[in-house]
Amino acid sequence: MKTTMFDLLARHAKRQAGRLWALGLAAGLAVTMAATGPADAHGEKSQAAFLRMRTLNWYDLKWSKTSVTVNEEYEITGKLHIMNAWPAAVRIPERAFVNTGQPGAVANREGVWVGGQFTPRSMVLKVGETYEFRVLLRARRPGHWHTHVQLSVETGGPIPGPGQYIDIKGNFNDFTDPVKLLNGTTVDIEVYQLGRIYMWHLLWFVAGFAWIAYWFSKRGLIGRFVAVASGQAEDQIITPQERIIGAVTLAAVLGTIIVFYAITVSSFPNTIPLQAGDFRNIPALAGEVDAGPLKIKYLGGSYKVPGRELVANFKITNEGKEPVRIGEFNTAGLRFLNPDVYTTKVDYPDYLLAERGLTLSDNAPIQPGETKDITITVQDARWDTERLSGLAYDVDSSFAGVLFFYTSSGTRYPMEVGGAVIPTFLPV
Amino acid sequence: MLRDKSFKAGPGPVTESIPASPGIEGGAGSNPPVAAPNVGALGAVSGSPFTSRAEAAQAVKTADLLLVIALFLIMIGGYHVHFMLTAGDWDFWIDWKDRRFWPTVLPIMLITFVAAAQYFFWENFRLPFGATFVCLALLTGEWIDRYVSFWGWTFFPITLCWPTSIIPMALYIDIVMLLSKSWIITAVVGSMGFSLLMYSNNWVILAPFHQASEQYGTLMSVADIIGFHYVRTSMPEYIRIIERGTMRTFGKDVVGVSSFFSGFVSIIVYFVWWYVGKMFSTVKYMAKI
Repeated sequence: MKTTMFDLLARHAKRQAGRLWALGLAAGLAVTMAATGPADAHGEKSQAAFLRMRTLNWYDLKWSKTSVTVNEEYEITGKLHIMNAWPAAVRIPERAFVNTGQPGAVANREGVWVGGQFTPRSMVLKVGETYEFRVLLRARRPGHWHTHVQLSVETGGPIPGPGQYIDIKGNFNDFTDPVKLLNGTTVDIEVYQLGRIYMWHLLWFVAGFAWIAYWFSKRGLIGRFVAVASGQAEDQIITPQERIIGAVTLAAVLGTIIVFYAITVSSFPNTIPLQAGDFRNIPALAGEVDAGPLKIKYLGGSYKVPGRELVANFKITNEGKEPVRIGEFNTAGLRFLNPDVYTTKVDYPDYLLAERGLTLSDNAPIQPGETKDITITVQDARWDTERLSGLAYDVDSSFAGVLFFYTSSGTRYPMEVGGAVIPTFLPV
Repeated sequence: MLRDKSFKAGPGPVTESIPASPGIEGGAGSNPPVAAPNVGALGAVSGSPFTSRAEAAQAVKTADLLLVIALFLIMIGGYHVHFMLTAGDWDFWIDWKDRRFWPTVLPIMLITFVAAAQYFFWENFRLPFGATFVCLALLTGEWIDRYVSFWGWTFFPITLCWPTSIIPMALYIDIVMLLSKSWIITAVVGSMGFSLLMYSNNWVILAPFHQASEQYGTLMSVADIIGFHYVRTSMPEYIRIIERGTMRTFGKDVVGVSSFFSGFVSIIVYFVWWYVGKMFSTVKYMAKI
């Protein structure tokens, strides 16, 4: 029978199938690994849209610097509104901690203040209140790091605020973190007592190894197994001399512990336990969210899934003395601006800023004493890229955020708004 | 096990019998040779795969070493995983090493493998190093983890994440076993001492980290400050289970109470895990030698 080239190839492929399969697998793995980029965010998009919109509202955020050198300090400041729309899915922040979301200890957290109170531990926050915060960081590890401030809520988990990239330059080895003790000395906690840690561990490591080596040298495992299995006399398996060596070792171990414990106690006579306990009565900001002379009634809204567009209808009454305009809708760290109000460049992370994302059915100011029905439309690709478009599929299809009203004199009135929305799935 | 080993043709016939089990006199493979009743065609002794006493001794030594290294590696993995899952944070972080939970939880979780290992090494080999062996393996794994993962990958300084010193406790309970030759006494006296020694043997390292400092009007220990400064994004402060409880009547002297409580629980856990060692360890492969 004549053998064709295809037959030859088929036979060859059959013989080499295993190798080809392995080669393909290796190539696939290599391509996958080559395509992997650095993971430098903190899962903020992964949380359900309604959770991010209805738990917290971060605003007035400022990063004092975005490029620093090792040991240089920088701050994240801003305001944190605990939303009245807080969802049932998350426990209210009766025990919360202002944390920093960053890829490891790239910057040291020198201090966190909430309402002016230094809060190195957890605290009690109240729904509906607004708190000013300040996070002081000290650059440690060179790199390009995405840094958030975030509120961790007990049983609720972390709720990240807006993130910003920080560039840290310099040499990691130059980093120091000096802390002044009550006894007046200053220590660098980066390397404090490292020698003591290594020395004691090494000492006991050597002692433990020596103990094992000593007994292992006494006929090893197999020899001793045979002796035990054959019923050899106990005094022959472990001799009285070996027991004496054990007793001496025990005395040495206990003596070392007792003597050096006493020396340590006298060397460090004034020590305190770890400090625990929550901070209560954190001062909230007065005159912030919902303090403006405005009455807002939510009349209903819809969310157009294909168009990534949130439409909300409000009846707004201006009870103040100046005309007001809606300048911004802020939710889940995203800022949707009314370009008629924000006419200059806003300093905010670009991926969270929709400079033309807010349009109104009536852009004219609301006069004092006037009541207007206004439809706001929030539309921007960021709504989708930040995964707020998942709202239509949430278990609690409601949105929330803060509308910022501005008077002609520059006074700002942040007002919390929100309510149920009806999704529209088909293109309109 | 060794009987199945294939061997090369030796340089010449030997006239000594090399028992596969070398006995205990004078160390591994040191049994005095006995005249061989039957010499094989290839120079090997009938019933023995070895061509000389030295080769047998070397083979047993090698087998011993392989066994002990394999056991050590297994313990690094097994004990480390167990310990990380059951007592991890108290051992990982300096701001978790408190006076109540650290001396309570750690000995109870540590005594498990210690008891099982003591059963295995003592009952089968009369080796009084079961506790030291597994604790040394655990610490080896921990230091590799702390240095490679905690420091090397995430740049947490060792001041934040040094592991608890546990070797003295292990030596103590091993020597109690050696001197008492009784697992009951070891369970009662050894487990109690094992727990009591934890805080005291670690205080030589920990004390400097419990010095006080004022931070913006708030009193903090150096350990608190280290835990606060080095950001652990996934670990908010309220996760710390420290200094909680109702032992107020003991004032500042809660370490002793915690340690004694831990000791009592450790006694019970020791009993249970001694039987775990009995049920789940085996020497059936060695019995074939």
